[in-house]
Amino acid sequence: MSRAWVRWVPAAAVPAVIAAGVLAGSIPARAGDPLPEKTPAQVLALLSEHGTKTLSGTVEQTSELGLPELPNTGPSSGPASAGGLASIAELLTGQHTARVFMDGPKKVRIQVVDRLAERDLIRRDSEIWFYSSRDNSAAHLTLPAFARDLPLPAPLPEPQFAPAQPDREPSAPKPASPPEAGPPDARMAPDMPKPEYLLPAPVMPRPEYSTPSPIDLATKLLAAMDSSTQVTVGPDVEVAGRAAYNLLLEPRTQGTLVGRVAVAVDGETGLPLRVSVTARDQAEPAFQTGFTSLSLSRPDDSLFTFVPPPGATVKELQLPLPGARPWPITSGFPGSPGMVITPDAFVEAGRSHTVPAMPRPTVTGAGWETVIGFPAPPAGQASMLREALLKDPFLAQAAVVVPGGRLLSTTLVNVLITDDGRIFVGMVPPERLQAAAGAVAK
Amino acid sequence: MPSSVPGELSNRLRRGRSDGGQSSDGESGAVSGSASTRDRAASSVPLLGSELNVLFRRRRTWAMLLALAAIPVLIAVAVRLSSSVPAGRGPAFLDRIAQNGLFVAVTAMLVSVPLFLPLTVGVVAGDTIAGEASLGTLRYLLVAPAGRVRLLLVKYAGALAFCLAAPVTVALAGAAIGASLFPIGPVTLLSGDVVEPPEAAVRLVLIAAYLAVSLAGLSAIGLFLSTLTVVPVGAMAATVVLSVVSQVLDQLPQLEWLHPWLFSHYWLGFGDLLRQPVLWDSFASNALLQAGYVAVFGALAYGRFVTKDVLS
Repeated sequence: MSRAWVRWVPAAAVPAVIAAGVLAGSIPARAGDPLPEKTPAQVLALLSEHGTKTLSGTVEQTSELGLPELPNTGPSSGPASAGGLASIAELLTGQHTARVFMDGPKKVRIQVVDRLAERDLIRRDSEIWFYSSRDNSAAHLTLPAFARDLPLPAPLPEPQFAPAQPDREPSAPKPASPPEAGPPDARMAPDMPKPEYLLPAPVMPRPEYSTPSPIDLATKLLAAMDSSTQVTVGPDVEVAGRAAYNLLLEPRTQGTLVGRVAVAVDGETGLPLRVSVTARDQAEPAFQTGFTSLSLSRPDDSLFTFVPPPGATVKELQLPLPGARPWPITSGFPGSPGMVITPDAFVEAGRSHTVPAMPRPTVTGAGWETVIGFPAPPAGQASMLREALLKDPFLAQAAVVVPGGRLLSTTLVNVLITDDGRIFVGMVPPERLQAAAGAVAK
Repeated sequence: MPSSVPGELSNRLRRGRSDGGQSSDGESGAVSGSASTRDRAASSVPLLGSELNVLFRRRRTWAMLLALAAIPVLIAVAVRLSSSVPAGRGPAFLDRIAQNGLFVAVTAMLVSVPLFLPLTVGVVAGDTIAGEASLGTLRYLLVAPAGRVRLLLVKYAGALAFCLAAPVTVALAGAAIGASLFPIGPVTLLSGDVVEPPEAAVRLVLIAAYLAVSLAGLSAIGLFLSTLTVVPVGAMAATVVLSVVSQVLDQLPQLEWLHPWLFSHYWLGFGDLLRQPVLWDSFASNALLQAGYVAVFGALAYGRFVTKDVLS
């Protein structure tokens, strides 16, 4: 038995080989051809110029926002069936995977991959379908023939909604729509934080109206941003197997929760591949969404055809009246893949469009320190809203009582719901929200 | 089963020495490929044939397969007798059964993943070496022209054959009882797309294959544990307990860094085969993970078994 130890060599060697393989795989090896050097303005231009129309890929989103984790009670019952704010919160905690297929802006399919379940959004031209496998329900929506008929804010930036270009971007953790992703767009106006955006900007259908020259735009944007934000290009990164520029946006102010926003811009096409937002003094991103695999070939056309399966409950959704001002929780362009894919949320958003004469939100502060305040709804609804918010089991659990109201605190965004029904949102410390609430009250 | 020992043993020794490779199982190809020489390969085939023969003639194996087949039957009968299941309640897919009998197979496979499949696989894998040792037949098997490595490989191949047989049994029984109690029609996938029954059958086969791959790692663990002891029940129990422990650890959010390394992590990932288009990511990750477990515990089993003093 003197050679007995030889027999154990494989038992020691195999784990060693596996460990070595894992280590080798985790090292961001980027020995290949480095991308040509580019200035931030050139990268911004590359980003805004990208004309990627067809793609299929897998997007992974991770959030460590500090929201309470919802108990996952196994494969059968998920938080998605809970509805309400919990389903939004569910998309904001932990990790989510979605598959994206796109063939031009008018053919889009997004599949949010849950364990043993799936939520789908399918768009073909003006037909939009939602499907949730959990309860086998589908919802259908027909868009008007012309984009301008959509009940969106007017295409031109309004002072109230879009004070200045650079202000747009710090106003909300919208990694899905970095400011330079497209032409000026009122949809990106500062409103409620839209962390529910699940997907990076490439899949956002680009509006049809005119586009200034990307280089001009990028330069202007950069100049406008420079006072509040330091824009640099970091070392190249590799995302979904592609070499990418790493555009880094760092707020110059200390008065925001955001430490850094990093956008990985594909070196070849200019497609944004990954967006990550890191909170101040944190090492790991608090929110990250990006491709894990990507193919730029045209997806199979049959993917964009959806017929409700037999036995499914089908709901027909009505678009709200054109011209109605969307309530702050607007989910964006119907069909913009970033929105939460729950018919309920959509209907909810649609219903709130019809709320008559919603007062306009107030904006205090500028740049990264912007605080948006939503006035209390009219007298009758104020108590209703408060009741609803307080009754929501998720909110009851997540919001803490602070002087003057309740605070929903995350690592990137704070939301203050005052006792009189006003809501203040900002990527700022809670004290600033309370100060804003106090100032507006006076 | 002491009463059947002499029969089993003589049968095995006879077949182990015979030259005609009358193995009827496809698994033999894989095993003969891994043997180093042609001679060895030639004698592995009858050894494997005898192993499979013994395994699938055992009353215990049949009892376990019958118990597995009973799961879809119970589900189908329960759904048939009760009123309609509200959507979103109970295990996934349960509410689809009344509309389409093929979902009985999917639901039954889903239900049997956490416990029943690991339990039966643990029994088979834990019995591989320890069972022979406890019956006193291990010595004879090693006297026969079969090296220890080959015996280990053949034993593992037998356990793998059971890993495949178990989910296939559930799927077949599920499809059969579903077809007899419920209508069969186009199947709604998780993506909301609808496929015709033939393609749905392909998906069922894929799921069974996914589960077979999923159980390969557990089998390797059982094989290793089985070389440690001469008490088969100990190895079986330890294997089953490990599968439960792994699943419990997989539920603890504090151990998130560990989750991708747990052999049970992808067990419920077979839902990805019910998407349109099929999402192969979890299949690939699962196969890689299980291959890692097979390599690690196979090497451990090898180290243990070839250095072991076989006294019984």
